[in-house]
Amino acid sequence: MSQANVTLFTVDAVLILDNDSHRILTKYYQPPHPYPNNQYASQYPTIKEQRAFEKGLFDKTHKQGTDIILFDNHVVVYKEVVDVIIYVVGGLNENETMLYQVVLALRDSLEILLKHSLDKRTIIDNYDLVSLAVDETIDDGIILETDPTIISTRVSRPPAYDSSVKNLDLSEQGLMNAYQMAKEKLAERLKQAL
Amino acid sequence: MSYKKNEDLDSGPGGAVMDKMTVFQDCIAGFNASPIQPRKCRVLLTKLTYLLSTGDTFARDESTRLFFSITKLFQHKDIALRQMVYLVIKELATSADDVIMVTSSIMKDTTVGSDVVYRPNAIRTLARIIDASTIQAIERLIKTAIVDKHPIVSSAALISSYHLLPVSREVVRRWANETQDTVLAQKVFPQAAYGGAAGGLGIGPAGPASSFMTQYHALGLLYQLRSHDRMALIKMIQQLANAGSAMKSPAAVVMLIRFVARAIDEDRNMRRPLYTLLEGWLKHKSDMVNFEAAKTILEMRDSTDAEASPAINVLQLFLSSPRFVSRFSAIRILNRFAMIRPQNVNVCNIDIEALINDPNRSIATYAITTLLKTGNEASVDRLMKQITGFMNDISDEFKIIVVDAIRSLCLKFPSKQASMLSFLSGVLRDEGGYEFKRAVIEAMFDLIKFVPDSKEDALSYLCEFIEDCEFTKLAVRILHLLGEEGPSTAHPTKYIRYIYNRVVLENAIVRAAAVTALSKFSLIDDASVQESVKVLLTRCLDDPDDEVRDRAAMALRLSATEKPIAKEYLSPESVPSLGALEQQLILYVTGGPDAASIAFDISSVPFISKDQADADQFRAKTMATLPILGGTSLDSGSGAGSGGVSPSKTPANIGEDYAQKYATSLAKIPELQAFGALIRSSRPVQLTESETEYVITGIKHLYKEHLVLQFDVQNTLPDTVLEDVSVIANPSTADDGTEPFVEEFIIAIPRLTQESTGTIYVAFTRPSGEEHAYTGGVFSNILRFTSKEIDPTTGEPEEEGYEDEYQVEDIEIGVADFLVPTYVGNFQHMWDQLSFETSETYNLAGVGSLSEACSSVIDSLSMQPLEGSETPLQNATHVLKLFARTLQGGKVVALVRMAYSAKTGVTLKISARAEDERVAHMVVGGIA
Repeated sequence: MSQANVTLFTVDAVLILDNDSHRILTKYYQPPHPYPNNQYASQYPTIKEQRAFEKGLFDKTHKQGTDIILFDNHVVVYKEVVDVIIYVVGGLNENETMLYQVVLALRDSLEILLKHSLDKRTIIDNYDLVSLAVDETIDDGIILETDPTIISTRVSRPPAYDSSVKNLDLSEQGLMNAYQMAKEKLAERLKQAL
Repeated sequence: MSYKKNEDLDSGPGGAVMDKMTVFQDCIAGFNASPIQPRKCRVLLTKLTYLLSTGDTFARDESTRLFFSITKLFQHKDIALRQMVYLVIKELATSADDVIMVTSSIMKDTTVGSDVVYRPNAIRTLARIIDASTIQAIERLIKTAIVDKHPIVSSAALISSYHLLPVSREVVRRWANETQDTVLAQKVFPQAAYGGAAGGLGIGPAGPASSFMTQYHALGLLYQLRSHDRMALIKMIQQLANAGSAMKSPAAVVMLIRFVARAIDEDRNMRRPLYTLLEGWLKHKSDMVNFEAAKTILEMRDSTDAEASPAINVLQLFLSSPRFVSRFSAIRILNRFAMIRPQNVNVCNIDIEALINDPNRSIATYAITTLLKTGNEASVDRLMKQITGFMNDISDEFKIIVVDAIRSLCLKFPSKQASMLSFLSGVLRDEGGYEFKRAVIEAMFDLIKFVPDSKEDALSYLCEFIEDCEFTKLAVRILHLLGEEGPSTAHPTKYIRYIYNRVVLENAIVRAAAVTALSKFSLIDDASVQESVKVLLTRCLDDPDDEVRDRAAMALRLSATEKPIAKEYLSPESVPSLGALEQQLILYVTGGPDAASIAFDISSVPFISKDQADADQFRAKTMATLPILGGTSLDSGSGAGSGGVSPSKTPANIGEDYAQKYATSLAKIPELQAFGALIRSSRPVQLTESETEYVITGIKHLYKEHLVLQFDVQNTLPDTVLEDVSVIANPSTADDGTEPFVEEFIIAIPRLTQESTGTIYVAFTRPSGEEHAYTGGVFSNILRFTSKEIDPTTGEPEEEGYEDEYQVEDIEIGVADFLVPTYVGNFQHMWDQLSFETSETYNLAGVGSLSEACSSVIDSLSMQPLEGSETPLQNATHVLKLFARTLQGGKVVALVRMAYSAKTGVTLKISARAEDERVAHMVVGGIA
């Protein structure tokens, strides 16, 4: 009777495509250590199959804005924002609302991280934040977190500068920089200690 | 499909050019530079991530080089850099060699204070680089992390354990206690935990305390550790369900519901208490829990109306939800349920009708197909009118789904054929592409084949259609059908005119098909018709196309010969089994020069009669409507090459297919070759529970004078080898004290290694003589073997083993093994034809509904339900009509009248008619 999924493997893929169906970020998940008989292995092992899937999916969903579709034996939920579409792909019998929560979590955490300018250019420019956010949401198919605030706080911002001992800048500007750096570091430590 | 790299993105993150080799070189140089520049290195790592997440891959040696230069970055303490390092290491762990080398660096990071942002990342990365030989080293570390008070750390450890299951289930099992403690622990964030690292985005007092996902992860892992122990599982379910509000995570509750579904499935006694839990979850405050509970209730095989109705009510409310996803879930579950119990979904019809115009086309299609199911015979007409109204507004692929739904409706309510036929002919005149027209034509073909009353009308609609048909393929198929069906109608001459028009007006392919169709009319016993066909065929001899002329000449020649010969060529009674023909031809073609030296032997291909071919098709078609349940047919038009529902996938002809499946493997066994051709193989039957130490399935193979029992034995124990594995199968003694089945030999398994599968065959002589053609029996089976444990130090089995026996369930040879379900067009006709009748009344107290009774009768008799009678339309009474052939080809029909009341269960009276007295008795006695 029941084909319900009793494993934690819930998400088959996360895709972020632009409005020409080009890839911005794509992750097809499978367990990091293979199971016997290749159970749970990805259904789209090659780039060619993945592209075909993405293309077909895009054609069916671009400018539709209707959140959910059954495609190629998968439940796919998606959100289109400006010039990108975020997809979360799950199994045919997966709980639709559960997947939907994941796509919302991704979208909303990116909104927070990218200061509400969620578009292709900003994503590319902040690719580290975006890929870390995806990694903090889904871990090889397992939903890690669905609260956008928690996800966004898990993502570290890039360091502000490179510390360089070799060419110490002893000009006024250089000293100012050093002072600035010390101040920030101190603030950071204090915050952590709290 | 060629993949053109996005030009815009060639200047990817950081603004630099994104060329794979440049990035590779930059990375190697950047990571090895001293001192380490965290900002620059994070940019480089980001570029790597970009390449890896858009489809680029590195060769193994490149990956390894990258991997080891990245490990240099562990020297730098920057938090932001370290988090990115982990992201990339995780990606490269599968494609680089010797990743195990970084274990110690990572392990150091997993023991830092729980408020360091990268600690969870380190734990999750660790699971990727650990293998079976090193897993013990991290045991303590993971245990500590699981019970850490910080939810993210705990989750990371749980997920890592989950990923390590295939590496070593044994080791992970030792963490069960820690996992158990975590399920109900409500871990919340320490205040402002990650403020510093996230650059001022810390979780303030206003932020969420936790989403409690840790509970979900712990529960998922716990199930994997406990799933072998059913009692522990039940206990876990009850404990957690009673914990009430302590289960904070909706995802964890969804998981729990799935375990409940499993438990109900496996243990009927738990059904009632567990149902109460499900009903409670219908009122849970989270949507996803409501849906999962409703879905589970409606998927229960034997839910009563009273049990189903709260679930349906909940879903009905969601039908008018503003969220697409909620409407989608609700209509999808209802659609599936409507396939089995349409009458229960009736109450939602008004809400469903509102969804016909939903902007989400999947929702709209589910709504339409659901309505087509829930509509009873009386409402079909009204629905058809409604559908006609919006047919023009929807796209081709949606029209196809609607047409398919109507097609299955036709087969279900043959009496409604007139209105459906006029609907089909109406849409046939509409604009539409090839696939859509094909679907309509297919539907009409089915009507003609399976609803005899509609034949004349449908044929004339088709004749009109080919007068103006732009699709050659369709015209050819219709002409073929006219040739098949036309001659047996009341006014065959009418069709001759239409066919000949094609000869005059169409292209060569259609003309050739028309000539063949025409030639079939020359078989009619009417001199004037024969004469006019001859005249028309003679005219075709002047055709400009070779093929057309050839066919005409051939037909003329044949019509001049004696009728039996002409008939054999022009309209043969049996056709080769196409699947088998294809297989044989492939073998022949790939056989090399040796095989090519002799002609292909057509007699090696089994021929099947027309009746049988029709029956197979019918079965395939009624099955093909089922995938709508799963939603697959919705995708059949999708561009990703998923294709439609191919007939080969549908579980068709039970008897033959199983026999075909096993025939090849059986033929390889020399001892069995002497038995001749395999007549029938049963479907595999589980003889043990699926989660025991030895899992055994049995299959019965019938030969003319022999019976072979096949036992597939699976040794699920990881540390034990079985030797001399055999099955002692004891046939029952007949009433007169004789033993009808005599054991001939047994082919045992000499050695069955751990976690592997082997096959045992036990052969018997069947009782000989005509009077024993249907003699069955019961075999009690005992698995006997010598078990040897494996020494964990050497990996070799120990010298000394001990003999053991294991009782498995009985195999019964009964009525189902002697009957082949067969389709026949007209039940009443068959009923009147057969003379010998017998009947019997039974009371099935334990059966909870008529549909359950139907499927159990169909299963135990192995007969084909006719006229859609396998789905009861009313709750109280039902008549099931069945037909089958015996292995010898004799016919048998059965009429089962049944009545249901809540007090007494199902009472049924079965009457069977057959050519052979014993067959009728056997069928009647076969229920019990």
